[in-house]
Amino acid sequence: MSVPLSTHSGVTDGAMRSAPADIAANPAAGQQRLGRLFSGGATGLLVVALGLFILGPLVLLVVAAFAQSWFYPSVFPSHWTLSWWLTVLDTSGLLESVKWSFVFAFTVTAVSAVVCLPAAYAFGRKSFAGKRLMMMTIFATGAFPKIGLYIAIASLFYSLHLMGTFTGVVIIQLLSTLVVMTWIPAAAFAAVPESLIEVARDCGVGPLRTFFSVTLPLARPTIIVAFILAFLASLDEAQGTFLIGVPTYVTMPVQMYNLVADYPAEATAVFAILLTVPSLVLLMVARKHIFSSTLAQGYHLR
Amino acid sequence: MRGRSRLAEGILPFLAGCVPILVVLVFTGLPIVLAVLYTFGDTGGLNATVAAVAQHQVVAKDGLTLGAYRAFFDSSDLRADLWATLWITGLSTVILVAVAWVLALFVRFGNRRLGHVASTLYLIPMFIPVVIASYALVTFWEANGRLAALLNSAGITHLGMPGYTSLGVVIGLVWTELPFGVILISAGLQSVPAVLIDAGRDVGASWVRLLWQVLVPLNKIPTLIVLIFTAVGALGSFTIPDLMGANSPQMLGVAMTDYYQSYGEPQMAEVMSVIIFLVALGLSCIYVVSLRSEKRRQAMRSESN
Repeated sequence: MSVPLSTHSGVTDGAMRSAPADIAANPAAGQQRLGRLFSGGATGLLVVALGLFILGPLVLLVVAAFAQSWFYPSVFPSHWTLSWWLTVLDTSGLLESVKWSFVFAFTVTAVSAVVCLPAAYAFGRKSFAGKRLMMMTIFATGAFPKIGLYIAIASLFYSLHLMGTFTGVVIIQLLSTLVVMTWIPAAAFAAVPESLIEVARDCGVGPLRTFFSVTLPLARPTIIVAFILAFLASLDEAQGTFLIGVPTYVTMPVQMYNLVADYPAEATAVFAILLTVPSLVLLMVARKHIFSSTLAQGYHLR
Repeated sequence: MRGRSRLAEGILPFLAGCVPILVVLVFTGLPIVLAVLYTFGDTGGLNATVAAVAQHQVVAKDGLTLGAYRAFFDSSDLRADLWATLWITGLSTVILVAVAWVLALFVRFGNRRLGHVASTLYLIPMFIPVVIASYALVTFWEANGRLAALLNSAGITHLGMPGYTSLGVVIGLVWTELPFGVILISAGLQSVPAVLIDAGRDVGASWVRLLWQVLVPLNKIPTLIVLIFTAVGALGSFTIPDLMGANSPQMLGVAMTDYYQSYGEPQMAEVMSVIIFLVALGLSCIYVVSLRSEKRRQAMRSESN
């Protein structure tokens, strides 16, 4: 019995793509199989439980943002108000933190792309000495606990005069994007079929033009996902930004930490919603790409 | 011409690979080396800055000393924290893999419309900043929280709620890692050809047998990746255990932040980091080794055909 384990080599990538297509082409077969594995009741229960688990806390957070006050044991707040929104929007520093979050997220994503994408291309399409060691180094150094790393980096930054600087914060946030920006695009480049590139080269197309009109367009959807994940990693980073950037550079998650400690729960809820909006917009944009199998390929060591 | 192609095939890719490696070596590798030296009592060089203001540090007279590690294992609180870190990581990883498998099976073989709903749902945590997620989850799961209020109104009052306990941390870790787990395992399941499953069904194999003898063996590697990446992430996590966990025992990620920021003991914080790092490196080695043996087995299998 031959089992095309396409997951682990770029060469048989076609087999991997065809599997979902089989289901799409023959939905009836899929439905029939369902009948055995998941009965109707179990299916409904599973989706409802998943919905409650994932959405329950988030939905109630949104409700809290419009409540005057809401304490146990009331199931729902009795009085509603918009005043927390005004409080939050009036608090100095909050809008400033939104600005800094985005300035850093764009800068970090761009720097990360410049640093990592050429390497990702090399990891994905070339074989050279030390490749696997390089990929493993990028992953393994990410396994050192962040706070321990930041304490040691602080010593380094003091001597390099990077404490409290814009560059310092960019470097700290850049570190949390390196794995996604190398591993995932490397998988995307590896998934481009060799035959297409050979055809282009046989037609006398130069290597640069082949790259820009064949390789890059095919890899683009997955690379966009890597950009989004890097952007999110930067938006999410709180601990390092706090240690290096305070007091000049306070981003949204750093501000959120202060709020959780100092503000009433309702005001925190409002800020939480504001902080989630940009991420949700990204979710909408990325939804159709994120489930590509190449994204999953990104976590395979080649 | 030959020289040029060697440049394109060997040297340029190597140099391109070196760029992120350089960033990693300077801003992660070097600090890790400094941190490790510091835990062995070396307070000179670049470590002088952090050592100058530190409390209760062990300084090596000449050479290196294990004193700081001895202090860690002598403290019963810290031993409890280490134990909590390990079991919270283990439990959340196992639960995550189990849930991810069920959801991935559902998306692949279940009702298509509901599968689509499910696959939107499980992606959501990926896009919620961790600080927000922890805050939302703890207000939901705490003893006087939203869920307790709901249950209370239904007359259920004696249930222990997991908010601000180690179990709360497990819930938080599963919640945030769910998208990653399902994406990886679904992609693995998608790559199992439908023909193979149909053939199994045709010869009358039950779903349980198909699962154990076809689907699970073919998805060892994605499952392993989810196990390792999730466990490594959970070991050093800070935000979720800090906002959702108990005051004691704490996960080491929280304890090390306290030792650094509140007690002024960066050396003990670094000792904890090194201990977690060793566990994480051990897990990464399992990943590399079993990946290699799995690839060898596949190569043998395809040769024998």
